[in-house]
Amino acid sequence: MTQNSYAISLEGLQQRLPKHVNVWNAEPPDRIFDRKTIFSYIDGGAEVYKAYNMQRCLSRRYTAPSRPVIILDIFDMGSSQDAFGVFTHDTDGEVVDVGQNACFRQGWLSFWKSRFFVSVYVEEETEAGEKAVKELARQVATTIPEKGAKPQILSRLPIKGLQTASIRYLHHPIVLNYHYYLSDENILNISAETHVALAAYKLGNQEARLLLVYYPDPEKATQSKVSFLKHYMPDADSTGAALLEDGKWVAVKIKKRLLAIVLEADSRELADKLLQSVQ
Amino acid sequence: MTEKKRVITRRDFIRTGSCVVMGGLVGFPLIRKATGQTSEKSRVVLIRDQNVTAGYGSLKGEVLVDMLDQALATLFGTTNPAAVWREMVNPGDIVGIKSNVWGPLPTPATLEDALVERLQEAGVDARSISVDDRGVRRDSVFKKATALINVRPMRTHHWSGLGTLLKNYIMFVSAPWMYHGNSCEKLGTIWQKPHIKGKTRLNILVMVTPLFHGVGPHHFSRKYTWPYGGLIVSTDPVAADATGARIMQAKRNAYFAKNKPISPRPLHIEAADTKFGIGNSHPDRIELVKLGWEEDILI
Repeated sequence: MTQNSYAISLEGLQQRLPKHVNVWNAEPPDRIFDRKTIFSYIDGGAEVYKAYNMQRCLSRRYTAPSRPVIILDIFDMGSSQDAFGVFTHDTDGEVVDVGQNACFRQGWLSFWKSRFFVSVYVEEETEAGEKAVKELARQVATTIPEKGAKPQILSRLPIKGLQTASIRYLHHPIVLNYHYYLSDENILNISAETHVALAAYKLGNQEARLLLVYYPDPEKATQSKVSFLKHYMPDADSTGAALLEDGKWVAVKIKKRLLAIVLEADSRELADKLLQSVQ
Repeated sequence: MTEKKRVITRRDFIRTGSCVVMGGLVGFPLIRKATGQTSEKSRVVLIRDQNVTAGYGSLKGEVLVDMLDQALATLFGTTNPAAVWREMVNPGDIVGIKSNVWGPLPTPATLEDALVERLQEAGVDARSISVDDRGVRRDSVFKKATALINVRPMRTHHWSGLGTLLKNYIMFVSAPWMYHGNSCEKLGTIWQKPHIKGKTRLNILVMVTPLFHGVGPHHFSRKYTWPYGGLIVSTDPVAADATGARIMQAKRNAYFAKNKPISPRPLHIEAADTKFGIGNSHPDRIELVKLGWEEDILI
């Protein structure tokens, strides 16, 4: 992934973070984790952040007497594209106006801005805790001066029928399997060098998913198309479409370095229309 | 990918009409037995007591210990729990109890204490028993261990799908991250390492308040735990994990009122069966014995 250079460092951000939020006070010391030490901090979840090229994570606790602890984690993802990507890993919940995109659910607010992904979490859900989480998130968002660009591959997604809340951006096969199980093996050759967008579509009463994979070179894209046809749709017709056993359509098309795959389309027409609309 | 390798895809599950994620654990027909795999059924005891907990953070230790004793007696086909321990270990054994310290949902200390007590009652010297998780590679008892007991709560996991008994042994290797590839599929190989192989006498999957869905970097919200009040015990970690996984899947489907696959697919459970021959994952090769509270048992 390309590393964007933004003016503010994690340390610079640390200096500007609020020391208080409502009745909660920052409890020193802050902790900073790198790509190795992050495993000691978030057992299990660390691989997801590493899959999005996480550089470092700053963690700060806010405490108040007889109140649940609020945990602020700021992940420096190295690029705004990856900050957006890791945000899309979990977008369930209420959309809130913080940073560039934010969601709130079960005492947890996540947002992204610039190259940072931010998580604010209260250990026990209370009304006061929820208010403090939202307030803290807003304050942290204002300390990040710049906005960042979303991944370029998103511009290749057709607009018509796009369910924007369903958009996922990634470049790791396990993350793809997390959102949409495709195969036990990496049949699409997804790696740190590839850009992947997954999104749901609804046109009229018909639905489908669209998977776009952008490869470093056309040869890799061609190899991946061949691999997909071989393992997933050996019964594809000459146009690269197949009717699956559950009555849904799958179809594939290549445009130089971009591989477009329509999954679970309710009709052949919808699959064709989506593939034709890919920019 | 080699030409000969059979690649499992979503398409296979669509063809068989089986749930995408749980495939192998509910009888996915493509994968059959691998070399070294046992042909016998694995006995798994699921015991539940509604009084063991009122929910996350509350636990009645004496009820839990009684459940353990009952489950073990049934697992080994006796009415005398003390005899089980004498059969399972010798007084000369050096026993490592592999626990799990994950903050939001650790192995209950009551259970760890009970295991130590039962081992001592069976004649094992207190100095030859250790309970540990992240320090097992430095622990002097674990270094010399002749027997292992594996005990942990079940939970969902961002990378492996589920935190399981199989996964609990990842701390026995110096580079755990080397096993993170393809959703931790190769965790079964850890069980084949010389310092591990053949030493595990008992596996206890704690299902008191399992975590069936994770959110956020810390992958935890108590909203996604529920008072299942169970323990799953077996000498076969794969069978115990597969049984727990079926319960977790059923809970997710019930809670979300739709098919909500465990994600990512917990490949390591079926791989431990079909690729590494550690145990049985298919229900038709598991003898499941259910004891106690039956309401909302989900299996």
